[in-house]
Amino acid sequence: MTRRVVILNTDIDAVVCSIERSQTLPADLEMADLEIYASYQRLLENEDLSTPLAAILALTEMMERSNAGTMFELLNELKGGAEALSRQSSNPIGLNAGCELFIEFITLFPHDAATFSDLKTELIQQGRQYAEQALTYRTKIAELAFDFIKDDSVILTHSYSRVVLQTLLMAHKRKRISVFVTEARPRGMGIKTAEKLTAVGIPCTVVLDSAVAYAIEKVDFVLMGSEAVVESGGLVNAVGSNQIAIIAKAANKPFYALAESYKFHRMFPLSQYDLPSHNPRLLSFPQSLNSTRRSSFGRRASESASTPIKITQEDIAQNNPDVDYTRPDLISLVFSDVGSLTPEGVSQYLVGMFAG
Amino acid sequence: MSSSREGAGGADGSADGPKSRGLRIFSHFGLPKTPGHQIKGDIHPAIIKLGLQFSEFKICGANARCIATLTAFKTVIQDYVTPPHNTLSRHLMTHLSPQITHLVNARPMSVTMGNAIRQLKLEISDSDIDLPEQDAKDELCQKIDNYIRDRIIIADEVIEDLAVKKIKEGDVVLTYARSSLVEKILLRAHSQNKHFSVIVIDSRPLLEGKTLLHSLTSTIPPIPCTYALLPALPSLITDADVVLLGAHSLHANGSVYSRAGTAMVAMLAKEHSVPVMLCCETYKFSETVMLDGFGKNELAPVKFSPGAPKSNSNLEVLNPLYDSTPASCITAVVTEVGLIPPTSISSIPLALGRTTL
Repeated sequence: MTRRVVILNTDIDAVVCSIERSQTLPADLEMADLEIYASYQRLLENEDLSTPLAAILALTEMMERSNAGTMFELLNELKGGAEALSRQSSNPIGLNAGCELFIEFITLFPHDAATFSDLKTELIQQGRQYAEQALTYRTKIAELAFDFIKDDSVILTHSYSRVVLQTLLMAHKRKRISVFVTEARPRGMGIKTAEKLTAVGIPCTVVLDSAVAYAIEKVDFVLMGSEAVVESGGLVNAVGSNQIAIIAKAANKPFYALAESYKFHRMFPLSQYDLPSHNPRLLSFPQSLNSTRRSSFGRRASESASTPIKITQEDIAQNNPDVDYTRPDLISLVFSDVGSLTPEGVSQYLVGMFAG
Repeated sequence: MSSSREGAGGADGSADGPKSRGLRIFSHFGLPKTPGHQIKGDIHPAIIKLGLQFSEFKICGANARCIATLTAFKTVIQDYVTPPHNTLSRHLMTHLSPQITHLVNARPMSVTMGNAIRQLKLEISDSDIDLPEQDAKDELCQKIDNYIRDRIIIADEVIEDLAVKKIKEGDVVLTYARSSLVEKILLRAHSQNKHFSVIVIDSRPLLEGKTLLHSLTSTIPPIPCTYALLPALPSLITDADVVLLGAHSLHANGSVYSRAGTAMVAMLAKEHSVPVMLCCETYKFSETVMLDGFGKNELAPVKFSPGAPKSNSNLEVLNPLYDSTPASCITAVVTEVGLIPPTSISSIPLALGRTTL
């Protein structure tokens, strides 16, 4: 499977993305697959919906359209839909977590409705209800994390996370806090966080990703959002999280992760290169790239050695990962709507939920 | 070594006790028995044979011993006749107990055998009193077969699938000694045309890695292998992409009881940030806590240490068969219910025997 569609948020990436999309969407993608991906994209436009929830809602919408006559058919369709979503997304980790949870829920749902169509209606309703309820999880998490934020705390956070933002906004109402936020290249989402925090009057400074070790001594603790919390108890989040965790550990600062329970994912990465988002293109050296590839450094260098070599931001972003994996031993606590868990607790919760 | 129990008291370093044999602090270790150890009571021939195979290390390894024990028990159960004025569900266990004792005398019981026997006891006490004797015996044998199939054979297949997915194209897999499960995983990965090479680390006294090396290199085409002894590990660990290990048992605190040397391999791998995958079926779980390799261990028989000093009686040979690896040195445990961290094994109901497959 070589087809890849990259959906990123910044403008530069959008250009790259549209080129890639036109190139890589082959005709053999079925109508249903495209449809579910379109609804997933539409749902993601809602600021409040994170990828797992959007995936759950996309699957719910798919169920509405489905004319499956039995549970078996329906489950197969859903599994197909989940696969199609994950195939078409560049970073499928978050949405996989949502799909996995939803399919597990459907499988275990008691079949006591009179007819199958009743059951289906019930399931659709349950899906919507869950998504609705799940939106309140962030408040719950903010309340849990609030107890750990002391007055006059200096907090370091990374990139942009809705749950971290909500926690900080809540803490600001009752306590004095100041925040360091990393720039989070290549997407620069940290700036968005900084803008939102400054707008409500929280003292906030943007820190370069490379200056985290410089800033860490001034920090009381780290608050980190997450894309997925995995079975080892570690987390997958925007690239740079791992190095912040390592620096926090070295400086003996607590590292708190915030994650809604729908981000708990039954996956066990052994290392960075074991993540589903990893591919050989990442961190590859120019000579190992296919020479016909557009805008590869290697080709430029060999073609025109006399002209100065220019490396643009897109070139850099292309060869670099979007997400990284943080080991559980670097994490102090994970705040989620099911409670404040140690990384071992997270893995036990996940094992209990899926392996029981 | 064979007389170490008698000498256990004389090892306190006094100058006038040069005859001391066996160190007092290790006197609790399971001691190797002489092959023809005494047969007490009514022991079934199948069990006597198995006892010899155990004490001679002809049948070795947690899975092999468990399967052999259960298979022998099937013969014992089939040959058993309930005495008059008794019922099978109440009497069979008293008939099996001396058989178990005989096996334990041959070689200390493995955790796997313990778990399987506990399950068997439960099944015997649950068997229906009104069932005709032959039917009850057949049902028990069927249950034993199911246990072997579900908890060992099928479990192994699932583990193979999961572990093979983690072996990537071009990986260098490092393993220690020989685990039947690791061997199956490597052969399966090879049969799926994955290209990878293997480093087999081995150690005296058992040198089990040779058997593994033989089976890996007998495939067509052979898997590229490197064979080295434990002291060479530091220079080879840097080449490894993943470490695959087997286990004797997995304990409630996440520590792993496995062939002596495993802890060293796991610790060195952690030091070099090489992921360590432990392959272990859930029936190897033990509810006890293991803190080190001294609390419980077993000594290798004398025949595996031919160079044992005879002339200098102040020098003792101590060859523990197992060691304990702390949970922090294991990245993931591959079980039939998925990959889990070693400390989470106790939250799997299946491992606790609360549910059956």
